[in-house]
Amino acid sequence: MLDAITGYLRTSTTPGEAGSMFWATIYILFITIGVSLAVIAMNWLERKILAHMQIRLGPMRVGPHGLLQPFADALKLLIKEDIIPEDADKLVFWSAPVVVTMTAFTTFLVVPFGRTHAVTDMNIGILFMLGVSSLGVLGIIMAGWSSNSHYPLMGSLRSSAQMVSYEVAMGLAIVSAVLMTSLGTGPGTLSMIGIVEAQNAQQTWFIFNFFPLGLIAFGVFAIAMVAETNRAPFDLPEAESELVAGFHTEYSGFRWSLFFLAEYAAMLAVSSIAVTLWLGGWMRPFPNWLSGSTWNMAFSFVPALAFFVLAGLCFLGTIRMPKIPQMKIQTVGLGVFGALLGFIGLVLLVPSVSERIQDIFWFVAKVACFMYLYIWYRGTFPRYRFDQLMRVGWKVLLPVGLGVLIATAIWGLMPQLSAAALGMVQ
Amino acid sequence: MSLTPLLRKIFLVDLIKGLKVTFHYQGPNEAITEQYPLERPVIYERFRGQPRLNSNPDTGESLCIVCNLCALACPEQLIVVKGERNPTTKRKEVVSWTYDVSRCMFCGLCAEACSTDALDLTQDYEMALYSREGMVLDQAALERGQEPVRYAK
Repeated sequence: MLDAITGYLRTSTTPGEAGSMFWATIYILFITIGVSLAVIAMNWLERKILAHMQIRLGPMRVGPHGLLQPFADALKLLIKEDIIPEDADKLVFWSAPVVVTMTAFTTFLVVPFGRTHAVTDMNIGILFMLGVSSLGVLGIIMAGWSSNSHYPLMGSLRSSAQMVSYEVAMGLAIVSAVLMTSLGTGPGTLSMIGIVEAQNAQQTWFIFNFFPLGLIAFGVFAIAMVAETNRAPFDLPEAESELVAGFHTEYSGFRWSLFFLAEYAAMLAVSSIAVTLWLGGWMRPFPNWLSGSTWNMAFSFVPALAFFVLAGLCFLGTIRMPKIPQMKIQTVGLGVFGALLGFIGLVLLVPSVSERIQDIFWFVAKVACFMYLYIWYRGTFPRYRFDQLMRVGWKVLLPVGLGVLIATAIWGLMPQLSAAALGMVQ
Repeated sequence: MSLTPLLRKIFLVDLIKGLKVTFHYQGPNEAITEQYPLERPVIYERFRGQPRLNSNPDTGESLCIVCNLCALACPEQLIVVKGERNPTTKRKEVVSWTYDVSRCMFCGLCAEACSTDALDLTQDYEMALYSREGMVLDQAALERGQEPVRYAK
């Protein structure tokens, strides 16, 4: 029994491939907790960064620099009164947030945080992610319909129209990336791990592959992904100034927080798709160009260094705190938080730990860049009108996606095509 | 469509410009929000706030000579000054002095009319109260001025 559990650690595959039920469960738990923590961190970061972009300070009072604000909010939401409208369809109203949250979390089953750090390696991984994440639309329609109210209904209809139309462009961009796995080295694959390994084999991230085709496909995906997750500037379904809150107007308390959780989990999921398909997944930057043991060593220090920088920022914050008795607890708290981050950095310095963990770090760092972009877009761009949104989706992204797909196929098959043409001539 | 706007559209030039602007606003010293109770805002000299009656700093007696000019100048007629001639010093002295802040619009005409610089509108701004009664200030309150609010446990 114990041998079966520890035996997995010596293998270098995912728990799903190794057939280890125990470790699969552990991974699922870790991913669930990790995603929830990421959503909490994201909540704080979004409020802070958005505030700074609008020349405000953001949350400052609950904990040092408002660090405990998301926890206070979560507590508030959990103990809030749970209201179900009188004429609502109770069962559907009850199950809608569950469907949305479950689909958002299920997609993480195949996200490869590292070569060994995924629950399982499905051979239809990317298809599975797309399929499950589009089930989320169902939950949103259920929420809008069962609320028996105008704003939610309109919000959910807008949402479904938007998500369905952008899924087409998104799918085309993804297909062109999947196509790239079959061109050059080896047969094509839909497996998330296989896609990253294909990038490793072709010695390039797919964003730079067949330049500029990979970049354009990535651009199409990057726009479609913002629309797909209903975020600004495509946040028409919940357009705060027009529709109150869109499909979740009638929801409150815990159910509302489930929608919130699902929205951010979906953002993380599509960002992981983008990272896996175009940005080399868990691979560190320049794995081939800057290869060799010296560079490996240098890059293995980066995760620890990142945590040390964060800890340093915390300590800088403690120094800059106003020196008055009321802020004493906050100053100490920020110092302890900085010490915690520094301790994590120290742990990451241990070679065996950093070897096992650093691919997770690179993956998370890449996803974090996307999360920052989401906030940055929200702080900058005004909302699109609905006809503009549809025009961008159908008249720009769809033809561009199709064109890139065809161009990628032709470019990739150029050797065979030219050989065939030569054969015809002779 | 001419070429330049089309290229601008394709390469999202305007969007990137916008992103640049918001990115620069994130600088640590850009925020203009004040953490109010901890950090007090700078009040300009010409700001007109809580009224105050000045007294002679040497002798401590009120500078008001009950000329009633402020009451006449006030467009809201919220100043009521009553005085009585003191038979020994032959000077008018204040019997009652009320200033109804709840009706005041802080135009400052009273302070301008005052011939002895007795009445002033100060830079104190924390005038919120829980009831309207406290807003009618008498001579003692006006001379005391506003006590700064301390936020502490």
